[in-house]
Amino acid sequence: MSGRYSAESAVDRLSAPVALTYLVYATAAVFFLFPVLWVVSMSLRQPGEVLSYPVQFVPRRVTLDPYVRVLQDSGMLTWIFNSLKIAILEVVGIVLVTTPAAYAFSRFDFRGKRHVLFGVLLFQMISPVVIVIPLYNMMAQLNLLDTHLGLILLYIGLQVPFSIWLLKSYFDTIPEGLDEAARVDGCSRLQTLIYVLLPSVAPGIAVVAIFNFVFSWAEFVMAFTVLSESDLYTVSIGLFSFQGQYSMDWRVVAAASVIAMAPLLVMFVALQRYFVKGLVEGAVKG
Amino acid sequence: MSVRSSRLPEGVHDAVASAAGSFERLQNTPATWIAPAALFLLVFRLYPLIEAVRMSFTNMSLVEPEYQYVGLESYVSILSSSTFWTMSRVTLIFVAASVVLQITFGMILALAIDYGVKEKLRGSVSTRVAVLSAWVIPGIVIGILWKIMLIETNYGVVNYLLLQAGFDVVAFLSDPQMALLSTITANTWRGTAFSMIMLYAGLQQVPTHLYDAAKVDGARALQRFRYVTIPQIKPVVFINLVLITIYTLNTFDMIMSLTGGGPGHATEVLALFMYLEGFNRFNLGQAAAVAVLMLLVNVLMTAVYMRIFIEEEGL
Repeated sequence: MSGRYSAESAVDRLSAPVALTYLVYATAAVFFLFPVLWVVSMSLRQPGEVLSYPVQFVPRRVTLDPYVRVLQDSGMLTWIFNSLKIAILEVVGIVLVTTPAAYAFSRFDFRGKRHVLFGVLLFQMISPVVIVIPLYNMMAQLNLLDTHLGLILLYIGLQVPFSIWLLKSYFDTIPEGLDEAARVDGCSRLQTLIYVLLPSVAPGIAVVAIFNFVFSWAEFVMAFTVLSESDLYTVSIGLFSFQGQYSMDWRVVAAASVIAMAPLLVMFVALQRYFVKGLVEGAVKG
Repeated sequence: MSVRSSRLPEGVHDAVASAAGSFERLQNTPATWIAPAALFLLVFRLYPLIEAVRMSFTNMSLVEPEYQYVGLESYVSILSSSTFWTMSRVTLIFVAASVVLQITFGMILALAIDYGVKEKLRGSVSTRVAVLSAWVIPGIVIGILWKIMLIETNYGVVNYLLLQAGFDVVAFLSDPQMALLSTITANTWRGTAFSMIMLYAGLQQVPTHLYDAAKVDGARALQRFRYVTIPQIKPVVFINLVLITIYTLNTFDMIMSLTGGGPGHATEVLALFMYLEGFNRFNLGQAAAVAVLMLLVNVLMTAVYMRIFIEEEGL
């Protein structure tokens, strides 16, 4: 009985819009996943199997040899360490710098606040690529070329606008009554921020932290400009220089690419909700 | 302890009290809270912007420390060079095609997922994750992914499939026009997720009763889309349009690893042209002039964005 019912409802549900929706889903899945899966499959092949004809979609015999080659022939481990270090310090820095600012923009009323906020937004809209040449000169004058410190400070500077706007939108959702209650109880503003407001804006801070981590990990132009010693490279510029020298064996380039994107993909699948939130709130609301 | 502190000279006592007081006062000034962020903004965002404008009026070079102010010479030489106009044309095609494709695919996906979620179809979340994962991957890696996909022998997987379907091998990256098309494809792959998410969020804000009313009036699906959905999400579409135009205009990393701007100058968009002019051909002055021209386009687009933004938020 129940089998017949569900079969009927399945036929019922396969109306034209449903079929069309599934067609869109399937096409999207193939178009967006195939390049990633292809490179993963490429990175697991035996030497002869890349240039085999007809092309094998799934490697016949899996080998981790390309990965071993990446780790032996390139500074990949150092680059991963550098990227992690830079991304983590950037995240800590940006949270420390922009949380107080976002608090102030949400809780104080002062003359010209609207203009300052729009000024910050204007900076967010202007791409860092446009200012890369003067930035290079400036970093040279400050003796910050070829230093991680320089790159971290630079990343914090670039990410201030986005992070302020996003955090401010979180502060704005917390009723001011909460602050006032704490102030009546004798808390200073700093205490109010730390003990009363921070727990409520924690999800916002998480979104800011995740987006900044992804930004720092993936960023290319600035790292490429500031860092020239391969020991100091991040994963992005390391991979770029490596694929330039190593384009003879695509399996190894593929393995290096998988290593470079895996941490972000894993993070993304695990924290998907935060990514969508950040995208929508960072863009639609400013 | 208390005895000691009571024995403190008056002056010190006052100083401690006033320090506590001024700490309190500092906390009540917004400037205190904003200062660190402002410092970063001034040093790493505002100063380089002003520097870019100043440099564009000089003949600064990467190899010679001496330079002079030469007025508009850099601009004149940039605007009269045919390379610049070729690059502008490449950029225009790249940006226009990417933006149209991203909005179109983003809209189709947003509508499909919106429908799928409402009808509780399976695969809605997985589709969203699949599309978004392309957006999470670093630009440099995206360029390499597509380079590997488009290898120009029958061993490249796309060429293999074309061959199977009875076509000839295509020179995806060494033919100038195909290279531009490949770059646009890779950029669409990367950016569609952003449009999808924004447009999907926009669709959620359309009040359901409008659809119900339209249904009662006998509007068919296509009519509902045309007369209810489109007018309702117009602001989101515009904001999306402006944002992805700016993003695409400033694309650098993905093209660097996919084509490096080549073959020849076929995919050298303005951002790349500027970078290579400055760091490979050492003309910092002229590179800065290109940067300022790009800046003007950025600011123009931002002005449009802010207009919509202000209207929407009622600020």
